[in-house]
Amino acid sequence: MSNILKIVLNRAGIVPRHFSTAVAATNTATTPTTPGSDLSDEPVNIRNPYKQERKLCILCRMKIHPDYKNVRLLSQFQSPYTGRIYGRHITGLCKAKHDLVQREIFKSQNSGFMGTYTKSVDFTHDPRLFDPERPMRPHKY
Amino acid sequence: MPTYELSVILRQMTRPEIVSTLKRTAETILNNGGIIRKLENLGTRELPHKMSEHGMVHRHGSYFLVQFDSATHLIEDFNEEFGRDVDIVRSSIFKTQNPEFIRCTLHEELLPPAYRKEVIEMMKLAQRKAKPKYRQQSGLDYYPFQK
Repeated sequence: MSNILKIVLNRAGIVPRHFSTAVAATNTATTPTTPGSDLSDEPVNIRNPYKQERKLCILCRMKIHPDYKNVRLLSQFQSPYTGRIYGRHITGLCKAKHDLVQREIFKSQNSGFMGTYTKSVDFTHDPRLFDPERPMRPHKY
Repeated sequence: MPTYELSVILRQMTRPEIVSTLKRTAETILNNGGIIRKLENLGTRELPHKMSEHGMVHRHGSYFLVQFDSATHLIEDFNEEFGRDVDIVRSSIFKTQNPEFIRCTLHEELLPPAYRKEVIEMMKLAQRKAKPKYRQQSGLDYYPFQK
């Protein structure tokens, strides 16, 4: 960071402001540089500092593959009140994983592992992966 | 022969009865030329909801998992056979699938609408379907169509 600051200040021909007079005096003594002779103001090759890191959904990050027998995992995506599957705007899963979770929940419900209108009482105190009250995207309706 | 997974829920029974039912189930697969790879007990527990099957109401059941190889056209017969068994509350056969690698697209999905691929495609479609419009700067000093 300090390097970048130095380069930018040099380019603009600004002498950095210091509050101590002694330092300022020494600085002015060292700065006289003739334009063209100094190569320090050439463009530098650095990584784009504003580039965002790639976001991953929780199942992709943890490399979890949902399975219809893993009822504990699947019921984390189910409402404790109605047993319905939470939408993608609440769970924050990527589309492929959400479709997979939904498919496995249906399989699980059809083969009698999981309730359709209810969530097992054993799983009600499981850690919450998301907050249904605060969806990551606004509600569809 | 693809590998399938049979999950059965047996009704509440004594141990020897469960054994005989499982044997019967396994023999159905073996007699039709199938191969059993694995037999797993997933425990006896309460069902998520009461199930009515073969004139009885079930609240508890024993869960079992059978992994087997069989010809594809026999699955229908198995479903029918297990559906008729009075000791089986519910049975379902699924094909076992290896988890395939999925590239996470959450990052692209969270972009503003104008940058999202599906929205861009939607806009293109709308442009293509839009009705041709008369351009006012056509150089004519009158309107060539009926008003």
